[in-house]
Amino acid sequence: MTGVTIDHLVATTAFIAAILVFIGLFTQTLQAAILYQQNRHVSLKASDLLDNILLSPGYPYNWGETNATLSCFGLQHPGESGYALSSFALMRLTSPFGKPVEYPRDSGEWYNNVSLESSGYLFLPIGDCISYETAARLLGVNGTYGFQISITPIVEVLISEYQSNPLILKIEVNGPGFPLSGAALSYYLYRSYKTGQYASIELSSGTVQADSAGVAYLNFAFDGASETYTILVYARLSGLTGLGHYSHKTFDQGAGVMPFVVDYKTGKIYLAHSWDVQDQGTPVPNYFYNATFFIMTKEFEFQEWPIANSTGNINYGGGGGKYYYGETTLPVAHPGFLLVTYGTGNPNEYGMSIMPWGIGTLAVSVTFGDNPAGNVWTATDLRQVTVDQMAYQAKITCWSLQGYQIWNPRRWW
Amino acid sequence: MMRTIEVSIVILIFAVAFIAATVFAVLPSPRQISSPNLHQLALTTLQVLDENKALTETVFEDLTDQAWTDLEIALAASLPPNIVYNLTVYDMVQVGDTTTYRKFHSITNSESGLGTDSETSSYLVMSTNVTFTVTPQRISGTLYILNCSDANGWWITGYTGQGLASDLYNMLSPYFNTTVMVQNTTDLGRLLDGTKISDSDHENVANAVVINTFGEAVPIPAGYYTTQGYADGSYAKYAYILGQKVNSYNWTWVSIVGYPFYYVTNTVTFASTHNGWGIYGMRMVSGYGLGCFLRGLDGQPYSYISQSTGDVGVVYFSSDAHTYSNYYGIYPSPYQTATRALPSSIQSTYHTTIVSNMFDAVSNYYGAATFKHTGGTGKGAFTAIGLTRTPDIRVTALALLMYYNPAIYKSEFTLTAGERPTQRLIVLQLSQQGGS
Repeated sequence: MTGVTIDHLVATTAFIAAILVFIGLFTQTLQAAILYQQNRHVSLKASDLLDNILLSPGYPYNWGETNATLSCFGLQHPGESGYALSSFALMRLTSPFGKPVEYPRDSGEWYNNVSLESSGYLFLPIGDCISYETAARLLGVNGTYGFQISITPIVEVLISEYQSNPLILKIEVNGPGFPLSGAALSYYLYRSYKTGQYASIELSSGTVQADSAGVAYLNFAFDGASETYTILVYARLSGLTGLGHYSHKTFDQGAGVMPFVVDYKTGKIYLAHSWDVQDQGTPVPNYFYNATFFIMTKEFEFQEWPIANSTGNINYGGGGGKYYYGETTLPVAHPGFLLVTYGTGNPNEYGMSIMPWGIGTLAVSVTFGDNPAGNVWTATDLRQVTVDQMAYQAKITCWSLQGYQIWNPRRWW
Repeated sequence: MMRTIEVSIVILIFAVAFIAATVFAVLPSPRQISSPNLHQLALTTLQVLDENKALTETVFEDLTDQAWTDLEIALAASLPPNIVYNLTVYDMVQVGDTTTYRKFHSITNSESGLGTDSETSSYLVMSTNVTFTVTPQRISGTLYILNCSDANGWWITGYTGQGLASDLYNMLSPYFNTTVMVQNTTDLGRLLDGTKISDSDHENVANAVVINTFGEAVPIPAGYYTTQGYADGSYAKYAYILGQKVNSYNWTWVSIVGYPFYYVTNTVTFASTHNGWGIYGMRMVSGYGLGCFLRGLDGQPYSYISQSTGDVGVVYFSSDAHTYSNYYGIYPSPYQTATRALPSSIQSTYHTTIVSNMFDAVSNYYGAATFKHTGGTGKGAFTAIGLTRTPDIRVTALALLMYYNPAIYKSEFTLTAGERPTQRLIVLQLSQQGGS
């Protein structure tokens, strides 16, 4: 009798223990499978989302060229097919990285800041920009998936000063994989010179070829340290195109003249005194500016386009809430760049500012969306696209906001 | 003891089941779970490389040509470093109804092959000898488009003058040597003074075309033209001055819709007055604007005289308009409603001749036509689109092209008789390396 009881006890205990162990083991396998399935779904969603964004112009279809309210989100260039993106729609995306700029100071008017290197500025009223929340809602992923999309030039053209006097500039042309050896390079160097009250620009242009390492050197017969200039280099090889720019200025007490897009629909631009953006102490000089707008032709040449009030004088801080600025208008829907050269009135104190009008003409990178940091699983996908005929790469990072093992700021699901 | 043995057997069964499930229910590798869509990446890579037809030109080059090396570099540079590729070009040979694909050339950066875990996209290109191109003859004069930021439009409902200016630029600039946008009324004043307003060496004030995109309103510069253009309690004299300028500079003035010169506009000068319909920055001139303009064009002394237009309803394309519509590939509707058509009588009253007529006349009224001044030295012309709102700029473009009639040079196929166009199929195969 005792033996039977012990047999029952041992058997029951072992059975229950085995059940528990195997439930755990099977659950682990099932959990892994479910997780894989969810991740696969996120990956497919990333690919779908990227195509949805890149292959639709949105509605209104030309929303990038107006300040219209969006009812459908998409970045495709209206009137074109395939993966050709609108450079103006890309301009209206709120940057998650650039710190917004208030202009004039303490006015409560904030501008989206797409930071550029080398005296390049792109400020748009935040009210005219499309927020990530709006885009997510229009794409139908609000609260279910998060994403971040980055549109970056495939070809990176880096320009640096190799020697100051006489000036030699080093050009490096790289793709994400390898350098672009043997690329054809066209350069446009705009140099400030004084002709009267306002500085003017003088153009030097030419072509060179990159070596097998994707490097070329440009020689100029002037002292780079004592001159103000901006150079744009356009690289091309077998259908791949890229562009880089670099500026050097002799006036370095402040940012100088900063262009602000104040009305996107009409192309109204304010040319602001940097003191009205950030107080660098006083006194600061007046700026006598000369603004020139260039459009890019289909042959990738820069052609000047006359603009209103292209010259002027900007004082700083008028006091009593009054600010001085220059005002001009850029042609709506015509991509190009605005080049502002300015002087302080003192000998050899010049500066230059450059602003893209449509992101393609200066090969500006754009990032839009939420921050993927902290998410357990993110899926990525990429496409090659064109913006203003320039070769770009569109990369999406996507993650789920619902489901098993999902982190959100409050807790784990 | 029996129970323990039975339970042991059950545990054994569970263990076997678990091992079997683990062995047979293999989870996919992380790469299969989430990998870039290589099919789309391959397709978009080919599309980007062919953005300016560079890829098309390369695949028809001789195999020793540098273009093939450049293509290899461009492929390697444009793809992420962990992606290997194989690009193969096939000749497409058509015999009867059968198309065969013959390998022409292949380039790759993976000598060991791409393995089975790869994806491909194909792209069909046609040889450049069947490319069809159109090159318009350039009209020697300068095209000025009024794009004044300090002006408002009327009868351009749904559009702005600036928006129309941009569209006209895109449509007409290929036909002109130089196109200049007149960005504000100050620039317009300089232009009326005979001064160039751009840095272009090709800009020429004389013999130009000026398109007013503001509909029935015409921008007026502040200062001289506002003071000298005001008489008899109206700005009709400004229209008279415009007529004189059109004559002296031998311009072609283009009105894109409605009653020409019916209003003058300057959002600063007339900031507190409206046109009678609530649009501020505008003053009504009514039909006196057209009458005075035509007197100025004809070199007659200024007189505050009105010129009427006619509401003739539906008008139909003339046979010339049909011909030119096909020639230039501009297709507005062939019938329109003309409520501000100009009468035939202005030919005799103001010494003008209709040199291009877009719509057949109705009761001696012309819905859209160009009137060339023939009196005196015979300079100046006036293209009046007397259609009702809203404007269709294709009508304006076609009317102007009908008047200047620039030739269109179309490329011809270079294929000889019996020769077939050559097509090649490009297949790009991509695969990921590492981390499987």
